[in-house]
Amino acid sequence: MLRTITPRNARVKRVLKNREAKTEENVKTAIFIRGSQTSQIVNDALADLYMLKKPYAVNFTKKNQIHPFEDQSNLQFFSQKNDASLFVIGTHSKKRPNTLTFARMFDHQLLDMMEVSIEKGTPMREFKTPKSAIGMKPCFMFNGDIWEHNQHYIMFKSMMLDFYHGQSVDKVALAGLEYVISVTAGPMTSEGKPGKIYLRTYTIVLKRSGVKLPRIELVEMGPSMDMTFGRITEAKPDVWKQSLRVPKELKPKKKKNISKDDMGDTVGRIHLGKQDFDKIQTRKMKGLKKRTSEDADATADKKQRVDGGGDDEE
Amino acid sequence: MDVSGVLEAHKQKFKSVSVEGKVIPVEYDLGLLAAYDQNPVDEAALKKNKDEYLQSLCRDNAQLLFNEIFQLQTISDDNGVMAMLPVPTTLLPREKPLPKPKPETRWEKFAKAKGIGKRKKDRMVYGDASGEYKPRWGYKAINDDGTKDWIIEVPAGSNPMEDQYEARRDAKKERIDKNEKRHRRNLDEAAVATKMDQKAVDKGDRPDMDNVRGMKRKELESQILISKGSTASAGKFDNAIKGDLKPKGIKRQFAPTVADFSKEKAGNMSILDRVVGKNGEDLVNVRKAIKATKSRR
Repeated sequence: MLRTITPRNARVKRVLKNREAKTEENVKTAIFIRGSQTSQIVNDALADLYMLKKPYAVNFTKKNQIHPFEDQSNLQFFSQKNDASLFVIGTHSKKRPNTLTFARMFDHQLLDMMEVSIEKGTPMREFKTPKSAIGMKPCFMFNGDIWEHNQHYIMFKSMMLDFYHGQSVDKVALAGLEYVISVTAGPMTSEGKPGKIYLRTYTIVLKRSGVKLPRIELVEMGPSMDMTFGRITEAKPDVWKQSLRVPKELKPKKKKNISKDDMGDTVGRIHLGKQDFDKIQTRKMKGLKKRTSEDADATADKKQRVDGGGDDEE
Repeated sequence: MDVSGVLEAHKQKFKSVSVEGKVIPVEYDLGLLAAYDQNPVDEAALKKNKDEYLQSLCRDNAQLLFNEIFQLQTISDDNGVMAMLPVPTTLLPREKPLPKPKPETRWEKFAKAKGIGKRKKDRMVYGDASGEYKPRWGYKAINDDGTKDWIIEVPAGSNPMEDQYEARRDAKKERIDKNEKRHRRNLDEAAVATKMDQKAVDKGDRPDMDNVRGMKRKELESQILISKGSTASAGKFDNAIKGDLKPKGIKRQFAPTVADFSKEKAGNMSILDRVVGKNGEDLVNVRKAIKATKSRR
């Protein structure tokens, strides 16, 4: 187990403070690990995925005896040591060739994990095209009708977004949108099992279109991988629920008296306060004319006289 | 003058920004810059010319996504034009649990109970003697608790031979020590409180700061009792110390030597019945027991 560190200087204290649980979290760090046996395809894939994840990534260049589906203690140790919560483990064996294992941690314990094996991979260096700068925010594209329905696809989508979405921001520089990560789900196999998925990465070229919106052209940047799904470990429901909790401070504030009706229109209730009848503008009539106090006195006299007349008649 | 022809000709020079052929409208999560295209993939095209098809599909979706992004509200600053993103709709798991509320210090608790708010003190204060502003504390501070006075009046009723400078220094040191002690006490209590919280975190309990001392005492006592039992004789032949802790909750009862025999019999029979009687099947796996005895032979 890791020894507990008591900070002896301000630098260590700052580092430890940065590792504490926060309402607004740091960008998740990913660790890229080579298993005891790897192939060239796996090495290339790890290197490219690492390049895309930089600077929030740690690359383990030495081989590690690691079997995440059998024993997670290694992952827990690495997670605590590096304050990282994402893992990509590359292995290659006869039974499971060219395999990448994506794993996520919550509170330094394994949350969920999935395996994909690369059927065909082309590394980034084989595309002689311009690359995006390091640490840019990518755009994501998930094509296909199955991303919401099958557990493998749901998890892979969540993993990809979690790995590469980077810093949570409320604004983004339009000129900084440099590349797209696109994952397309191929058709299911005849037995109804998940089929291939195609991961492609393109740089974006904005062209003039004659209108305000730009015309988009894509240039393949690499890596490109055709993959199939392998084993999967889903998150425990209670842990998953806990991990999805949003702190009160980050929840959008509820606006009172505003709702949406069935048609999607916004309906609001407005309080106007008490209405002042003196200031209300009605039709202008002589009888309703506002009178000054002198006028009021004059009419009161008149009224009295009329009343007096009535008495006489009686 | 009709310029529509000219505009049309100008438009013809560029490729279009609109995308056709999406039966199901593409969904977006602009907070994550993501587009989810739920239209089924064209299998024939995918088989025939995979990379070209994927690129064209992706280009169309990228065009749609960028059309959405470029229509967002924008602001300009040093980094160029920035688009204001909405809150992401796709929920992603957190890295660590939500931060726990920090345990209150004694002062904070007291201030809360009394309704005392925080008050900002100025960094610089006016010195009457010097006639200028000086820092309240630190280097060249206004008043080092009088230890820098070049002359001190001996207070009435005190020993005239006493060093007043030393008395002031001592008083200051005492105050510092006292504060340090209280700080340490707060830390200890906070540690216990968070430990308690760890246990009760599933229930959602808050740390009970009122009982922190009691908790700490209990923990220490249990540790002492454990350590007492860790000698070779499990603490049996240790010298008794006056006022030492005795393990609680362990009571031994001995049946009287001369008493009603039927009670003893009933007690023993009930035990026997539980083990080998009709009700005993759950307690002892008979088959396994037979096997074990046989193998021993």
